Amino acid sequence: MTPDLEFRPNPSRLIGFMGDVTLDSLKPGQMAHVVALDAGHPLRRRLLELGFIRGAKVQVVRCAPLGDPVQLRLGHTDLALRSADLRGVTVRL
Amino acid sequence: MSAPMPVSPRTDAAACAATVARLRAQREPRALVVGNPNTGKSTLINAVAGTRLKVGNWSGVTVEKREARLQRGEQMIHLLDLPGAYSLSPHTPEELITRTALLDEAPDVLLNVVDAGNLERNLYLTLQLLEFRVPLTLALNLVDEARNKGLEVNAVLLGRELGVPVVETVGSKGIGTANLLGTTLTGAQVGHPLRYPAPIEAAATDLERRMQPLQTLPPHAHRYLALALLEGDPSLRGRLSATGHAELVDAADAHRAALELGGHDPLIEIAEARYARAGEIARLASPRSELKLTLTEKLDKLALHPWLGIPIFLALVLLVFRLTFTVAAPFVDLIGGPLQEVASGWAAGLLGWAPLLKDIVVGAIIPGVGTVLSFLPTLLVLYLAMSFLEDSGYMARAAFLADRSMRGLGLDGRAFIPLILGFGCNVPAVYATRTLERRSDRVLVSMILPFMSCSARLPVYVIFSAALFPRAGAWVVWSMYVLGMAVAFAFAWVLRKTSLPAEGSGVLLELPPYRFPAWKVMWTHAARRTASFAKRARTTVLATVAAVWVLLSVPAVGGQAFGQVAPAQSLFGRVSEAISPVFAPLGFGNWQATGALVPGFIAKEVVVGTLGQIYLGEQAAQVRPLGALDGLKQTTLATWDAVKTSVSALPTLVALPSFGADSSAEQKTPLAAALAAAFTPASGLAYLVFVLLYTPCVATIGAMQAEHGRRVAWLTVAYELGIAWVAGLIVYQVARWFM
Repeated sequence: MTPDLEFRPNPSRLIGFMGDVTLDSLKPGQMAHVVALDAGHPLRRRLLELGFIRGAKVQVVRCAPLGDPVQLRLGHTDLALRSADLRGVTVRL
Repeated sequence: MSAPMPVSPRTDAAACAATVARLRAQREPRALVVGNPNTGKSTLINAVAGTRLKVGNWSGVTVEKREARLQRGEQMIHLLDLPGAYSLSPHTPEELITRTALLDEAPDVLLNVVDAGNLERNLYLTLQLLEFRVPLTLALNLVDEARNKGLEVNAVLLGRELGVPVVETVGSKGIGTANLLGTTLTGAQVGHPLRYPAPIEAAATDLERRMQPLQTLPPHAHRYLALALLEGDPSLRGRLSATGHAELVDAADAHRAALELGGHDPLIEIAEARYARAGEIARLASPRSELKLTLTEKLDKLALHPWLGIPIFLALVLLVFRLTFTVAAPFVDLIGGPLQEVASGWAAGLLGWAPLLKDIVVGAIIPGVGTVLSFLPTLLVLYLAMSFLEDSGYMARAAFLADRSMRGLGLDGRAFIPLILGFGCNVPAVYATRTLERRSDRVLVSMILPFMSCSARLPVYVIFSAALFPRAGAWVVWSMYVLGMAVAFAFAWVLRKTSLPAEGSGVLLELPPYRFPAWKVMWTHAARRTASFAKRARTTVLATVAAVWVLLSVPAVGGQAFGQVAPAQSLFGRVSEAISPVFAPLGFGNWQATGALVPGFIAKEVVVGTLGQIYLGEQAAQVRPLGALDGLKQTTLATWDAVKTSVSALPTLVALPSFGADSSAEQKTPLAAALAAAFTPASGLAYLVFVLLYTPCVATIGAMQAEHGRRVAWLTVAYELGIAWVAGLIVYQVARWFM
């Protein structure tokens, strides 16, 4: 189910809301909905265009053998992102 | 994120008007082919255009430009295949090219290639394309693959929702390609562009209204430009401000500020509106979407396994490496040896009447051309292997696996492959840097590549270790490889801290589904890239070979004829002698050692040959004139031998390479004995370090110049000479206390 979402300019300061975490804290196999992208995220525009919009369902598939980067599944696309960049994506489990 | 590429301000207005005029004059409809990466676009375009596809480079960037003129009945169409793009915000050089073409090429029609198995994300770009008022045809590609995944797309419904014709295609099997061309020419529609939430729509309409009177903005792009300005696209703002549209940019900024005050974020809301619509269309057109566990997921369980992933990756890299250099080596030897001898023999026979001309042809032109040609088998095999890894989808996995270990240098995983290839030959490795997204990364990796000890340097290591270190030969050879890597990484670190800082943050790559590559596409890519190397390297290599030949032929003392001098008495000898004091602190300040380094600039394996020529006083074997038939016989026999050797090498591919093994066999050669007398262990070691680190061979410089321009190429030469000298000095000064 898509949670009701509101836009918050800098969600990283507002974490604490029950269930809201950053994407890097998910374990392989876990799935969550995107709540917000950090406004200062260097890849923000790119991620939006690839589908990291509010409500989008994203799954952590696995970590690379050395622990980083992380393979994510978004719709029918598999993407690899560094965990440092996942920290700027707020999700709700 | 990559910095926006500078767009020359002068171009916009003039270029746009000129393009439109030119196109009208040509009267040939111009179709731009646009699509996401990994949608099978190359295969599809190859199936449509086949041999008529011409490949060049976009000016200033190393991205392939592919064009074809196609006839269909009475009509002609000019097809321009644009590089893959996820969106029209330029994050990569590829995406910048795609957007620039959409703005400047005044296309008559767009052909949008869409992956049927990934409709939602692909439709994001489609919806962006519909904002251009240009007729569009949608190629729904890879329908077979989607079907296997359990996805059935209703093309009719999809076409109705978008308002454009949809043609189902399977590029690899040529399904739908004939129909596609016809529909693109006659049936393409402008389509239904997306309506955005009211406040954004109002702002966009106002901006479009302001653009109406501006003659210099392409009318087909008004709506796209308005929306991109509202999104705050930095490169577009820069471009418009620079071309005298600052007022427009200001108006857009005012709208954006007002929207933000009202609690809106245009960037997010525009993306959301597009995805909402894309998702809606995808669900309508393809309601059944329970995905089966695909082959890709099964393969990834193995390929990206926590423990097995990296060993598999390393084994594959080693396999490519061995394949390239084992299978191609006999052909390299064939071109460098028998073929060159036959060509020289024929030339000697034909040009007997003109000795000087004969000397030039035999002494400079044939070896020069031969040097260029001898790279071709290696390059061809390597490009085939690379295309296979790339087109099959493994390369993205390789980058994923290697990313963590490359991070220390501010590089991403993709940089690993060129560096490994550098051990085989630096030339294809330079071309392999194309897989990197950012220009600064491409340049950085190319600049450190020559320190990766290529296989041409091995003969030098082997003969010196045989001569000076009979017991520790293998260790000496091994330490050269390690030293090369250490210097490469140190140099990379220095470059990062000084002239080539890392741009933006990390890696974001798509892991596309595994596919079996189309042989035809692989072959045409590999053959084209190989040929383009030959074309570009030709001038640089020929000029250098000619220069060395002249140096060796011109007598420096009286009473000697041109071309008949011993190396010591030639200009070459004198020049070497003049340079040699520079190397005195490194322990080998005599003209012989110095002289051998000069032709090593052409190809490092030549160093051994030149040392032989100098120390053993061997005269270059006199070329005997050869009859046509004898030559043909020799050529055929030698070619057959090469094929046999190459095929019989295949089973040994999995064996590990062994360096030191040959050194004991070389131990008794007269050259080794001569070197043992001429060098001390310390000076020999310094010499090896210098050979390892000094300028890359001329073919590598040619490749660097072709990829990154003259400045980068010659800067590398200068840096490396300096580093080689310093490293040689340190090694000699330290080693002479111990050896």
